[in-house]
Amino acid sequence: MSGRTQTISRSWTIVSYILLILFTLVTILPVVWMLYSSFKPMGEIMLHPLRLPTAPTWENYQKAFKYGNLVVSFLNSIFYSGLSTVSTVLLALAAGFALTKFGFKSSSVYFSLFTLGLLITVNSVITPLFIMETSVGLYNTRLGVILPYIAFGLPMAVLLSTSYIRGVPDALIEAAVIDGASYIQIFWKIILIVSTPVLATMAILNFLGNWNEFLMVFTLTSGENMRSLPVSINSFAGRLNEDYGLQFAALVVGTIPMFILYLVAHESVIKGFGEGALKE
Amino acid sequence: MPRLNKRSSYYVLLLPALLIYLAIIIFPIFMSLGLSFTEWRRFRMTGFIGLGNYMDILSDPVFHRSLWNNIQIMLISVLGQIPLGILLAYLLHRKWVKGTKFFEFMIFLPITISSVVIALLWNRVFSPVGIYTTFVRMITSNPDYVVRIFESEKFAMLPVLVVLLWQHTSLYMVIFLANLQRIPSSVFEAAVIDGAKETTIITKIVLPALSPVIFTCSVLAISGSLKSFDLVYAMTAGGPVNYTYVMALYLYQHTFTFHNYGKGSAVSIIIVILSVGLISLVRGIYAKAQKKFE
Repeated sequence: MSGRTQTISRSWTIVSYILLILFTLVTILPVVWMLYSSFKPMGEIMLHPLRLPTAPTWENYQKAFKYGNLVVSFLNSIFYSGLSTVSTVLLALAAGFALTKFGFKSSSVYFSLFTLGLLITVNSVITPLFIMETSVGLYNTRLGVILPYIAFGLPMAVLLSTSYIRGVPDALIEAAVIDGASYIQIFWKIILIVSTPVLATMAILNFLGNWNEFLMVFTLTSGENMRSLPVSINSFAGRLNEDYGLQFAALVVGTIPMFILYLVAHESVIKGFGEGALKE
Repeated sequence: MPRLNKRSSYYVLLLPALLIYLAIIIFPIFMSLGLSFTEWRRFRMTGFIGLGNYMDILSDPVFHRSLWNNIQIMLISVLGQIPLGILLAYLLHRKWVKGTKFFEFMIFLPITISSVVIALLWNRVFSPVGIYTTFVRMITSNPDYVVRIFESEKFAMLPVLVVLLWQHTSLYMVIFLANLQRIPSSVFEAAVIDGAKETTIITKIVLPALSPVIFTCSVLAISGSLKSFDLVYAMTAGGPVNYTYVMALYLYQHTFTFHNYGKGSAVSIIIVILSVGLISLVRGIYAKAQKKFE
């Protein structure tokens, strides 16, 4: 019987290898092709689409940075994603602390209100948001991008932080209260420290999501100097732009920052996505 | 600094998050509902027209096409991405192969790439100088082959659907893998020793154990499908003609091109209603399926 089991498991091994290798190739080949094509001049791309570059050149990148305003967009992306992530995480942890450890009856109402937000998507509020921002002067400002980023990060972050902080022992907080610490001090000195694991998950999910966000920057800003990387890169899509090498270079510039983050922190990224969705 | 009492501390901690959330998400939903009953001409609100916008939208063939395209996206998500995600997660979980971490790392990579980049990259893949075209030319030894099928009305959505499968399957793989790891490994070992077939293990152990997650993922997939914008906008902008229009694109056009905020808002309300309706439907199916299992 064990012989039969072994044969069966061997055939599963073969099936697994075939499927996984196939899937990996389909995933990776377009990305690899994009990477090396960005070092080829237009003529070579046209003649030999798949061949590795014979004389690699940085020319496409020079042009992409010159025409695409990519440095400004890169800095904007860092600013938008960074500031909104820090704010979302801090606000969500503070709210999570309040909703779990204070024992007020209203907590459950506020909590359900936050979870409701998980079902609301950007395009269901984008029209009023545009009107509101235009009327209060936030349209085409960086704050006008960051505030909605924070708001849309909150439902998931509040959910993750409440379920985490609920598990923090009450005794820890009570002891600090007896020692004369204020609740605000307890938040900064205890809650923030013990929440590091969930804080990392929230930060990664938020930063990645906001870095790749398109619709809000696209509709709530108009100036070229307000654009984030995805919006700038979209401007390389125009039918006028038939310089494929230039386009590839722009795509690589848009991919590399998160690619590096993934290389460094892939375990947390994978864990974050795997666990983030469980909590719903 | 005066010491805050417990109740004030509670509000100091809670209010910043709550106010931003209320102002930017909850308030606009109601504003959207109000706006959806108003008429707009030349950037100006000209009056209240009741359900007029809704009537206009629901009788517009472009909206019908958008809705149908969203349904196709939803089907590929729920019936394509999720089952494929389960399959890949299962193959990785049973560790029949070496280097599962490597496969996981590679297959999950697209999650870090923005939809805009993915859209433009795949447009190149299908272009006359693309991988796909060159590959088909090599197999069929027809050097003049170009991808034409996407220009037809019937198949225009195909590239979008293929790319969605490429982009999001790995997300479900990672979610299912994280959950498979919660099933004690002794369960699998016992089943294998008892001589259970793989198909039995999958239908009797894996799927029942994963059913709450499958439900959550379906909710995620449905609400994700109804909002899809970035990829379609960057890839086809709704074209050729309006063959690849989706509801969010229809909304975008009315709000930001025609500045008809009434109609734009009505589209968002329709999306919200559809989303809530479909999710309740899935919840109902799930509840029924659960009863069956017990």
